[in-house]
Amino acid sequence: MKNRRCINLLVLAMLPSWGVIAAEERNALPEGRMAIAGYGDVTYESSDRLNTSAFTANFTPIFLFRLNDRLHVEAETEFALNDVGSTEVELEYIDIHYFLNDTSTITAGKFLLPFGQFSQNIHPSWINRSPWTPGIYGSHGGTQAMTALLPVLSDVGVSFQKIFPFNSRQKIFVDVFLTNGARAEEAGHEEVGEVEEVLPEVEFEATNGDNNKDKAFGGRLAYAFLPGLEVGASYYQASYDDAGSLEVKARGLDVNFIHNHMIIRGEYIATETDGFEDDVIHNFKRDGWYLQGIYHLGRLFQIFDSTDFVIERAEVNKLEESSRWVYGFNYWLDDRSLIKIAYEDTKVTNGDDDKRFAIQFSYGF
Amino acid sequence: MFRKLFIFSLAGFLAATGMSTLSAAEDVAINGAEVVNNNCGRCHNSRSIDEFSLEEWVVIIPHMRERAHLTGAESDAVLGFFQSLQETSIENLSGSEVAARTGEELITRYGCLGCHSFNGEGSSVAPNLDNTISLRSEDFVRRKLLNPKFNNSATPMPRSSINNADIEVLIAYLKNENIR
Repeated sequence: MKNRRCINLLVLAMLPSWGVIAAEERNALPEGRMAIAGYGDVTYESSDRLNTSAFTANFTPIFLFRLNDRLHVEAETEFALNDVGSTEVELEYIDIHYFLNDTSTITAGKFLLPFGQFSQNIHPSWINRSPWTPGIYGSHGGTQAMTALLPVLSDVGVSFQKIFPFNSRQKIFVDVFLTNGARAEEAGHEEVGEVEEVLPEVEFEATNGDNNKDKAFGGRLAYAFLPGLEVGASYYQASYDDAGSLEVKARGLDVNFIHNHMIIRGEYIATETDGFEDDVIHNFKRDGWYLQGIYHLGRLFQIFDSTDFVIERAEVNKLEESSRWVYGFNYWLDDRSLIKIAYEDTKVTNGDDDKRFAIQFSYGF
Repeated sequence: MFRKLFIFSLAGFLAATGMSTLSAAEDVAINGAEVVNNNCGRCHNSRSIDEFSLEEWVVIIPHMRERAHLTGAESDAVLGFFQSLQETSIENLSGSEVAARTGEELITRYGCLGCHSFNGEGSSVAPNLDNTISLRSEDFVRRKLLNPKFNNSATPMPRSSINNADIEVLIAYLKNENIR
């Protein structure tokens, strides 16, 4: 009932703009139907904690289909080898956009969750200036030492996007979504070192199903002062147990600042997860952040014309505290392919520290 | 309770503004080059316009429209900008048309004034081109036009299909026709 009301209200919100489709004039543009873009990478990584070093390869094509001026389908699939030599295929997203009018879009399917900026826009390896995912989001495969705050990239459901352009340089973005959401991890709870509190295990991997009738919902409200600044605030809430009585909530703030030879990106996330402690529901609170700076070294030394210096700091506080420094150099071979060399040092308060070194060749296509 | 308030407030906000917030683009012509400058570089380098055909860009741009929060009018302006560049590339012109291309014509056709200004005309989102030859050198401009990223990996300036003959015409124009 609660979810039906949410959906009804979202539909009502869209109705006023349903009939105001702009008469778009195309100057004899060709009728394109399909395009393939995407990215891939080859990485050498050495980890102290895992005591291994390995080469990995990923290939992530994005299939795009234009059905007509208003309907657009996109699907991103990731092909990768696993540790026994089999090819794994992961459907990162598959969704259809309906461009309701000039400033409104409905999306349905498995889509990148509009929470913060990393998941939606920064995660492709040729765009992410580090070979690693920011620690607060976790990584595919989950081998990082830092316990992620919100390890979610995409989910299955519907979303609505609205843009409020004030002029050519200022906009407000609103994205809201309803999705299947999180669920309790079957493995159960895990003790966290000497810490008394037990952090509930919540599974965020998107599936075509849900363990309860409560849908996850949330969204992002952002202001962009183009081309240099975008700041946003995000919210996520989902019931994750079978009865729908335990919830996980996340609030986020994000910033993306681009100046002539410098980029600063960062996000702060605070989570609250319900869990049982001595048969009483307890609210487990965590928070953390990451801040990444990129500086074009050619500004200082012409010999480094195509080279960036990258520095990143991430911290997770309270339960499972940890912190991470990342230092790296990126060498751009052209507009969409680069070689990253990076070193990561992660300190875990109640667990094993980790030091990693990686060389990654990333390319967009 | 918070959930209801959140959804209700959001729905009311969107409903109240849904009819009145069509893009300003419907009233004001949108500069496709400026849209590229303002939006692509927020996440990634601007891709070379010649990397995809126009048939492919027509499919790719709607993908980017949703991802970058572009309006429909902005998406159309970008496609129009790409179309103007691809259809006026030297491969599509006859020999006499190539010979007749002037610096003034090229600076317009390559969309330079969508972001830069020259002799008081154009946009201000990128450095103005007045005195750029004397300040930066011909070689700098030559290298920049061939590979915009050569001196700045974060530049939003897209690589275009410009050829050496056009570069020389443009350099001569920037050097000789600068009145400021």
